[in-house]
Amino acid sequence: MSPGPPPEVRARAAVSPHDDRPAARARGRISVAGLAMRYRSPGGEVRALDDVSFEIAEGEFVALLGPSGCGKSTVLNIVAGLLERTAGQVRIDGEEVRPGHVIRKVGYVFQRDTVFPWRTVEANIGYGLEIAGVAKAKRRARVRRTIDAAGLAGFDQSFPRMLSGGMRQRVALMRTLIMEPEILLMDEPFGALDTHTKLEMHRMLLEIWERERQTVLFVTHDLGEALTLASRIILLSARPGRVKEDFAVTFPRPRDAVTLRETVEFGRCYSHIWHSLGEEFRRPVAAAPASATP
Amino acid sequence: MKRSRAAVLGWQLVILAAGLSVWEWGWDVARAIMPKPWVPKILDPYFISKPSAIWRSFLRLGCLADRAGFSACYRENANNLWLATLVTLKNTCWGFLWGASLGALAGLALGRSEYLARIFEPYIVAMNSIPRIALVPLIILIFGLGDWSKVVTAVIVVFFVVFFNTFEGTRAVDRDQIAAARLLGASELVVLQTVVIPSALAWVFASLTPAVSFALIGVIVGEFIGAERGLGKLIIEAEARANAAEMMVAIFVMMIVGILLSLVVRRVQAYLLRWQPQFDGKT
Repeated sequence: MSPGPPPEVRARAAVSPHDDRPAARARGRISVAGLAMRYRSPGGEVRALDDVSFEIAEGEFVALLGPSGCGKSTVLNIVAGLLERTAGQVRIDGEEVRPGHVIRKVGYVFQRDTVFPWRTVEANIGYGLEIAGVAKAKRRARVRRTIDAAGLAGFDQSFPRMLSGGMRQRVALMRTLIMEPEILLMDEPFGALDTHTKLEMHRMLLEIWERERQTVLFVTHDLGEALTLASRIILLSARPGRVKEDFAVTFPRPRDAVTLRETVEFGRCYSHIWHSLGEEFRRPVAAAPASATP
Repeated sequence: MKRSRAAVLGWQLVILAAGLSVWEWGWDVARAIMPKPWVPKILDPYFISKPSAIWRSFLRLGCLADRAGFSACYRENANNLWLATLVTLKNTCWGFLWGASLGALAGLALGRSEYLARIFEPYIVAMNSIPRIALVPLIILIFGLGDWSKVVTAVIVVFFVVFFNTFEGTRAVDRDQIAAARLLGASELVVLQTVVIPSALAWVFASLTPAVSFALIGVIVGEFIGAERGLGKLIIEAEARANAAEMMVAIFVMMIVGILLSLVVRRVQAYLLRWQPQFDGKT
């Protein structure tokens, strides 16, 4: 038997109140109750999600972790209002999420590259402000500041094809953050990047979040990433997805994406959660077409 | 790099000179050195004329060598080379612009609406199965011998080419990009303006270069079948007199018109699609 969880990751019921206190400003709260998702496929009915419930407080950074195909992206897309659900309730600040209806306080970063290739970096980042009707001069000033903050200075007139994958994803992130969302939903946003670029992105995201303290729901299958960034990890089981465990991650902040990984505590937490995750990885996935994760 | 470029140009000039020489002197030389039945018929100036004769016909049709002077000749001849070219060019441009616009609009509407697409599908398939040229006599019957029938022919030819490409392009728009725009606050109309149209534009333009040639073909065929003026009319008149040189003049002018039109389309394309890698540095 393992010698019990290390103090930095504990089952969340055991640590209350949370280490990361919510910011003074009211931010988005997410409440998911009894969420279920079933759909028909050629092989019969697939139960993608089964009774998923969790609450996310204002200003929390939560990683939704689970094996591939467990439906974690599905949860995120339902929370974003991009996908219909079979059953259950999803509320943002008490307001019911309806599919197809965008909630302004929510920002979303996709796993895939969704930067608009026909717009320059500047026009990509300014997109949301532009369609919201923000005056050009004001918009330019804000975009300029964001570009500088993202380390993209000098690339404002470049088209996305001239940028590396990491830079493009930074543009996508900034395009979302410039709208100052209260809730940031991220679907494996760094999944396609190489290790080095990924660490740089972790650094940047940590710096932004530790300053702004938005509510973040971050989908990933990378345990190291979840531990580096999040204050809490919700572990989903293999299909049909269920909340299997809920850990609080209490590494002190501000965190450094690189040195944190070198600490003994990090390794201990990693192996503790890996133990739970490992079971899920080994369990065969029931009737799972590869396209199940949107 | 520079040397190979010069070499390519050199070879191109050699081929041009060789072609023109065979055209000009091939028939005479072949007849002088070969038994008569062996001489290829295709070299006969009766069929293909000669560069020198074509040049003389060009000067005459273009009123450039007229004793009465250019302006008198120009006024006297209602279908002189310049007027014929202008008419054909004008009809081609209008036909292209209307055909491409209508095709793009229809493609966009049906590409965005699954419902409309399902309703119109059998009609579009049926209409597209008609060889467009078969409609030309009917179009001339309806719209007369004037310019309208030529414009309408070009519109019909261009419409389907652009329609199908726009339709496919609209359906190929990245759904995540649409979702991203929505999540940033875009309405349905804004998504159309800022995501669907720019994204489909690459597909639309892929069809515009062939479409501009098709518009020219449509106008010329219309002029063949019934017209008062235009380059096609010039060819038909020359054919009646078995004048190969005049036909060749009209054909060369059409070639130049075709090249100019596709250059314009390429230019616009290279500017609007400058975000695509293949148009790097061409703006």
